[in-house]
Amino acid sequence: MMSEPYSVEPPRIATWLVGLFTLGQEAESILGDLLEEFSYLASKSGTAFARRWYWRQALKTIAHLIPTAFSVAPWSTTAGVVGGFFARGLLARLPGRAIFAVIERYQVYQYHFKTYMFFASTGIDIGILITFLCVGCIVALVAKGTEMAAAMVLSLIFGAMAVVGSLYNVARTGNLESLWWLTWYFADSLAIVIGAAIVRTRRSNATTLPLNPS
Amino acid sequence: MPGRDYLGEFEHIILLALLRLEDRAYGVTVRQEIELRTHREVSIGAVYATLDRLETKGYVKSHRGDPTPERGGRSKRFFRVTAMGMEAVNHTQRALLNMTEGLGLIRSYP
Repeated sequence: MMSEPYSVEPPRIATWLVGLFTLGQEAESILGDLLEEFSYLASKSGTAFARRWYWRQALKTIAHLIPTAFSVAPWSTTAGVVGGFFARGLLARLPGRAIFAVIERYQVYQYHFKTYMFFASTGIDIGILITFLCVGCIVALVAKGTEMAAAMVLSLIFGAMAVVGSLYNVARTGNLESLWWLTWYFADSLAIVIGAAIVRTRRSNATTLPLNPS
Repeated sequence: MPGRDYLGEFEHIILLALLRLEDRAYGVTVRQEIELRTHREVSIGAVYATLDRLETKGYVKSHRGDPTPERGGRSKRFFRVTAMGMEAVNHTQRALLNMTEGLGLIRSYP
């Protein structure tokens, strides 16, 4: 007996995330399999259960796809991570230098002290955040096909370095307030992933053919 | 040496699932077959990661089916075990049987 296809949509964010991490044609098979089982579970056990199952499967699948990227394309993925690491080293000081050059040039501290304070503190942090976004784009450009895996690994490396550095700093100085800087460091790591996701999405859109509405 | 490698535990399970499912073996059925028989939750990503590795080794071959509406217009990827894969399963199976022979493991854990 044929049954009507169940019309409930799976979680869009989970589908988008799996699509970001899936390599090439694998996306079609994996997303098709997930949708098929989701529709069956939604009709049998309810939408809420099916959604929870879908999210669990999506996250576990992503966790498997990250190490797989290093075996499928070891050179380009590693080059993306290493390239991103050194690109960050080269670019990290640029925002500070650029902002202070502008401050010096227009002598902002003499006429607009509050503006000067903003740019000299938060302005530099925002500049570094944008730098990390660019690093994510560079990683994605190098690691074609495994963009997200390379970006995730690099962001985890920077995240781990930030945690170790912050804990060492607290142990040395006893100043717990410095832990607040971790939020900025984690935001930097997230910016790498977002930068890679932007490049990956643009690549996917460029290669995906429009669906025939008929 | 190709075809004489021992299979990993999950590789072994996947190949046995493909042999059981014959021409119905694709991501969903393989995953469900493993869950049904081993009682452990398996992610579709783990299944595909292992199948890709087995395909690289020459133990399985895959082909695409037609797109279907219940899959949002996406096609299924069917898998089958090659002769080399069959040899690897038999090789691993023989090794396991040799190792477990006389131990009465099943009787010890009813």
